[in-house]
Amino acid sequence: MLIENPLNSSIYAFPVLECFHIVGFTLSVGTIALVDLRLLGIGMNHQTPAELADDMRFWTMGGLTLMLVSGLLLFSSDPDMYYLNMAFVLKMVFLVTGIIFNYTLRQKAVLPGASPGLGKLAACISLFLWSGVLFGGIYIGFIMEGLSFSNL
Amino acid sequence: MIISLAGWLENLGLFAFIRSNGYAYPILLALHLTFISFFGVMILVTDIRLLGWGLRSQPVSDIIDQLRWPKRIGFLFVATMGFLLFGAKAEEYLHNRFFQLKLLLFTAIAIHALVFRPRVYNNANELDGAKSIPGQAKLAGAVSIFLWVSVACAGRGIGYLAAPFGLHYDRTVGVSAPAADIVAVHNTAVHNIGGERQEAQVARGNGHAH
Repeated sequence: MLIENPLNSSIYAFPVLECFHIVGFTLSVGTIALVDLRLLGIGMNHQTPAELADDMRFWTMGGLTLMLVSGLLLFSSDPDMYYLNMAFVLKMVFLVTGIIFNYTLRQKAVLPGASPGLGKLAACISLFLWSGVLFGGIYIGFIMEGLSFSNL
Repeated sequence: MIISLAGWLENLGLFAFIRSNGYAYPILLALHLTFISFFGVMILVTDIRLLGWGLRSQPVSDIIDQLRWPKRIGFLFVATMGFLLFGAKAEEYLHNRFFQLKLLLFTAIAIHALVFRPRVYNNANELDGAKSIPGQAKLAGAVSIFLWVSVACAGRGIGYLAAPFGLHYDRTVGVSAPAADIVAVHNTAVHNIGGERQEAQVARGNGHAH
């Protein structure tokens, strides 16, 4: 006996939530990437990485919140499809690593006086982790039977 | 005429390859999305500054001038991926209502640029000197956010429409819905746990996946 998730009673709920999800991750991943690009010396060079990170903090946090809330709701529409999907599991690994990295090591790398070399390294790691999240997200919808845990 | 041009385009070697190769399409789509995040946000950041919602300690001209080239390069990346995705299924996309809406929104964005670029974006030094940001600049920022978020949502919508009947190929999810109907496979699949998994996965991520 299935308990109905109200989200599944409207065909519009899922696509509309996806739109919120897109805005959420564009804001969060995008503002993080903006600081990463600054660490690499691309764009916004009149500001220090610390200044930029400080100005972006609120928008990164807001974007993350929107992304996570809409993401949890999307997940709730069919949880066992998601956790059996290898792309989803990899995405979660990248997401958790990305969030922890962002608020620990990379936070240190943007501080004034931090080594520019380490800053560049942190920026590359950060861009890699967040790209991984986005690729994982896209692949959830494309994953082939053979790649799913349910078929292992 | 345009439809036959689209038919010619999608049969070019490159686009036929993207269509038939299992990896090309999702990778291009993921790159499209990644570049949207990395560079689309620069548009939002500029608009946020114009609206006075953030970065207030930085001069408006600093934001606009420093992000101008990164935004252009980013747009080129995103548009290139977009064109490669379009070319793979050109004829189908031209029939897609959300794709048509997306083109309409780009036209609106071009008009926005014509109206506001000389007054606001190319006039940033004047904004730096102003006591508060003029209403015109705030309007430019607000309209820009609305249009670009709408483009993203319309883009997501493209994946939810089935191809119209009568096309000579059948690459969409096997759904016999009329062109304007949202593919509802997603819902039916939920009641069919353990059954048509593949169908559910394809319908969720992208209605137009193969």
